[in-house]
Amino acid sequence: MTALLKVKELSKSYQQKGFGLKKKSTTVLEPISFSIEAHKTLAIIGEAGSGKSTLAKLLVGAESTSSGTIYLNGQALQEGSYKQRCQHIRMIFQDSGTTLNPSLTILQLLDEPLKLNTPFNEKKRKALIRTTLQKVGLLGDHMNFYPHMFSGGQKQRISLARAIILQPQVIILDEALAALDPSLRSQMINLLLDLQQQMGLAYILISHNLGIIRHFSDDIMVLSQGKVVEAGKTLEVMSNPQHKVTQKLLMNQNFQLKPKNI
Amino acid sequence: MNLLDIRNLSIELINGDKNILAVDKVSLSMKEGEVRGLVGESGSGKSLLAQAIVGVLDDKWHVHADRFHWRGIDLLRLSIEERKALISRDIAMIFQEPMACLDPTTTIGEQIAEAIDTDSLSGFFWQKQKQRHSGAIKLLHKVGIKNHSACLSSYPHQLTEAICQRVMIAIALARRPILLIADEPTAAMENTNQGQIFRLLASLNQLKNMSILLISHDLENITHWTNTITVMYSGQFVEAGTTTQIFNKPLHPYTRALVDSSPSANFHLPAKSRLMTLPGSIPILQHLPIGCRLGPRCPRAQQACVKAPSVTNFHGHKVSCHFPLIPIKTPRKATNQKTVKGVC
Repeated sequence: MTALLKVKELSKSYQQKGFGLKKKSTTVLEPISFSIEAHKTLAIIGEAGSGKSTLAKLLVGAESTSSGTIYLNGQALQEGSYKQRCQHIRMIFQDSGTTLNPSLTILQLLDEPLKLNTPFNEKKRKALIRTTLQKVGLLGDHMNFYPHMFSGGQKQRISLARAIILQPQVIILDEALAALDPSLRSQMINLLLDLQQQMGLAYILISHNLGIIRHFSDDIMVLSQGKVVEAGKTLEVMSNPQHKVTQKLLMNQNFQLKPKNI
Repeated sequence: MNLLDIRNLSIELINGDKNILAVDKVSLSMKEGEVRGLVGESGSGKSLLAQAIVGVLDDKWHVHADRFHWRGIDLLRLSIEERKALISRDIAMIFQEPMACLDPTTTIGEQIAEAIDTDSLSGFFWQKQKQRHSGAIKLLHKVGIKNHSACLSSYPHQLTEAICQRVMIAIALARRPILLIADEPTAAMENTNQGQIFRLLASLNQLKNMSILLISHDLENITHWTNTITVMYSGQFVEAGTTTQIFNKPLHPYTRALVDSSPSANFHLPAKSRLMTLPGSIPILQHLPIGCRLGPRCPRAQQACVKAPSVTNFHGHKVSCHFPLIPIKTPRKATNQKTVKGVC
């Protein structure tokens, strides 16, 4: 099976403007390589400032890469080829409430990516929006509502609908589950797992919650200060962590699992 | 004797012609030296309850209770000034988002020195400044900040979130409170920092015998740190008991769902299988269901649930449900429940 998304020697560093000795560059992400197949989930964990979010931004093209190439289905993605990229790689953010434009209805919100990326006429676009909303567990009639009329969990479903409406192959979840309440979070996890089965999606999951990662992901990658310190199958890494950073992260989560004996 | 004893506390929002009952008859009691968890999803009124205990709610909210005792003193009978003096001496509160709660325009040193009680200082006025300074350093050492001089002279934005939360705890400790209310102290914090803050609170509890009311929206986060847990849903009391009772033998369908929906509590589940979950979403304040507010989402709901259930006590394990999930060991009570079903 060929890899759906393959990343080779991807790195990012910021240049500080100036001349001579004043010129400085800070590396946030050292060269990194990995690949994901369809139907699989890759989890990325790490402390703050370890370069997780930078990696996500590089993959969707929100930031330009310093070096390295991203291959999608064996084809190299060009810098600036957003039309191709935004159809296949989509992203969901942590705070779904602020990523939805409050002055547009759900119909208009979901119509925008379709208008820009598909040749469909208005009738077909509307039908597609209706089926997509039903797919994420909302009603088709919800398309005439404004974002403020929905609760937090429903808003997260709308941003998921916006992500899957173009039939993408990769979805990046940047802490997308962190802000949800526990009972809504498990609903969302079930929904994401169902969609993965139906549509063959590959997920890149960035999260702090190791319980979710253990349940959700197939592979795991541990980042620390821009470097990959450990990578492998989730179960193997979690049961037998090798690197100090991984051990520290696991230790902090582990004693939250069983209640204290009184 | 109970440290804090609250019976049937209700909080009402005055809203024009129609009042909204945001917290509906919640009971809470705390013993000395206890760490109690208060768990509820967003909109469950857990922060409101904490604010009502400290007394910082404004005129829009009406608080009334059948009993509101603090160490045997009936707070409802005291005048506002007396109550303020008592509570500010004995209870302290820390908030979520420590960066936002500290004053960004003054240094940490001034903010801590301000919190130190003037009555605890002695000597002439020119000596007091120095005592305040050394008091602030001592407080910082208590919360585990060793590099006090750098911390005292810096502004909140120059410190990390975990250090800011430690400073908040230091300010709360300035008057040596008996009860510390921690309102989501680790929300939006890294795992490693979360562990640090919880360990600090646990050590304060053990060394100083300080009681802690730990408020959180996530059951799995706090189970390791608490002796007892109270669960709330949408402003109603759900269940209270020791942590082991709540975690291993939940009696209320909602608590059961909370425990089952947490992937880290269910290690036996195969990866990528479906998690148990409640359908629907949390009701908003304007459209609260009548009776038991979990009713529309509850898998065991029946006709009787349109009336709010009363609290039943099973050996110190309190639950507020018409049809609790009773462990198999007590079949007699299970038959009792069945007759109730037949009646309605």
